[in-house]
Amino acid sequence: MLRVRGLSLRYPSGKLALSDFQLTVAAGELVVVLGGNGSGKSTLLRCITRTLKPSAGEVWLGETDLCALEGEKLRRARLELAMIWQHASLVRRSSVLANVATGALGRHSTLRTMFGGLPAAELDAARGHLGEVGLADLADQRAGTLSGGQAQRVAIARSLAQRPRVLLADEPVASLDPEAAEDIMRLLQRLARSERIAVLCVLHQVELAYAYADRVIGIRGGRIAFDLPRSQVSREAVHRLYIHEAA
Amino acid sequence: MSLGIADRPATRPFGGAAWRRALTTALHCVLALLGIAIVVQTLVVVEARPQDLITGVHGMADLIWRAVPPDFSKLPSAAWPTLQTVDIALFGTIVGVIIAVPLALLAAANMTPSRYAYYAARAIIGFTRAVPDLVWALLFVTAVGLGPFPGGLALGVHSVGMLGRLFAETIEQMDMAPIHALQLTGARRIQVFSHGIIPTVLPSLLGISLYRLDENIRSSLVLGFVGAGGIGFQLLTAMNLFQYQEVSLLLIIIFVVVLGAERISAALRERLA
Repeated sequence: MLRVRGLSLRYPSGKLALSDFQLTVAAGELVVVLGGNGSGKSTLLRCITRTLKPSAGEVWLGETDLCALEGEKLRRARLELAMIWQHASLVRRSSVLANVATGALGRHSTLRTMFGGLPAAELDAARGHLGEVGLADLADQRAGTLSGGQAQRVAIARSLAQRPRVLLADEPVASLDPEAAEDIMRLLQRLARSERIAVLCVLHQVELAYAYADRVIGIRGGRIAFDLPRSQVSREAVHRLYIHEAA
Repeated sequence: MSLGIADRPATRPFGGAAWRRALTTALHCVLALLGIAIVVQTLVVVEARPQDLITGVHGMADLIWRAVPPDFSKLPSAAWPTLQTVDIALFGTIVGVIIAVPLALLAAANMTPSRYAYYAARAIIGFTRAVPDLVWALLFVTAVGLGPFPGGLALGVHSVGMLGRLFAETIEQMDMAPIHALQLTGARRIQVFSHGIIPTVLPSLLGISLYRLDENIRSSLVLGFVGAGGIGFQLLTAMNLFQYQEVSLLLIIIFVVVLGAERISAALRERLA
């Protein structure tokens, strides 16, 4: 579903942030990326979404290479690529339902959605997505009143409204307590399985990676240190990722 | 015989710290003298003569004596100019908001589509703000004649500058994370505006607009003095005709309108917060 081939990014300063990166995430798979600070995890996600333009390489979303697209074609292709962050990034003064429904905006014409509206079918679908993340009863509440864990669930529901084939998550549990973090990881795992979404998740919590990932990718200095099924990832290999970064 | 290092005095008699203290004291003295000079020159330039104020108290008392009691029989004839005054302010604020919103989007560093649009929008905002509303009123009176319309236009143009700047600053200070999130969902520019930016900044923009309306009501009173209609024009006419009891009635109406607008605006802004 998501294939990254030979992805490299060199900053104008000359620093190589990513080097010849290869990865594949299949539909229904949850892949966790581990690595120290500055190892290139978030840069990888930003290159995949094309927020950053890679120096070289390809990012295949199904049969479409995002790196070959610009402007309107890139916008359309990106509709199937959803993203969540450490902070939920919700419009705080809008309702929870309105926030979820904005995930569907890109599929509708500007004219139809210009004055803050969306088709009734999308609002119904948004209610359904809220139900999927267990927050159906909070639909009419203001997003600014939610707890961190609830807000992250709403962000996930918004990404579902996009009907994505790939979901990228950049440290989605970094600001949550352990229980809420487990909830979010369980949710991501369930959605990957039930909706057949390819999930690529950057984490700092090694234990969560061991508990929920199908595969774990370790990054060190912008390069892949290992890409293995969860059961084959040794504690020592993970430990080396962080020791190297600290040195 | 030369002195060895150990024989030299540990500190100079007038060292670096002492020099700095002396310089600071001198600088303070210069600043104090400069402050006094500024105050004195303002007194000279404005030809301040406090003694005239004391000797002129009789004239003021006579004026106030002739202004009481207010002539309430003129109340019905003051109703229309009062409504005109409020509507001049409303018209000016609405025109200002309609033009200022798109201009502010171009003038906000985090939203502008290009550097040229940014500088052009900032120039328009700066110019409309720098020219006083009274000057705009004189210009529009020349263009469209006497009456409330030039007053409304003058307040509208001046409000573009005032509102444009405050709107742009509000947009620049908003949390951009939800906006970036919306952009990444594949939403188009206008959709991001209508579903992300507007809900985020609307309460602030409404609050600023209400405050501007309150200011515009006060300004529209003054604009009447240059022929831009409303109760200000009636006040000027009454003063020129020495109708001081009518003047006092009009001043009471102005007081009620200004205070009322201020209270309503404050209450609405509090609800929006």
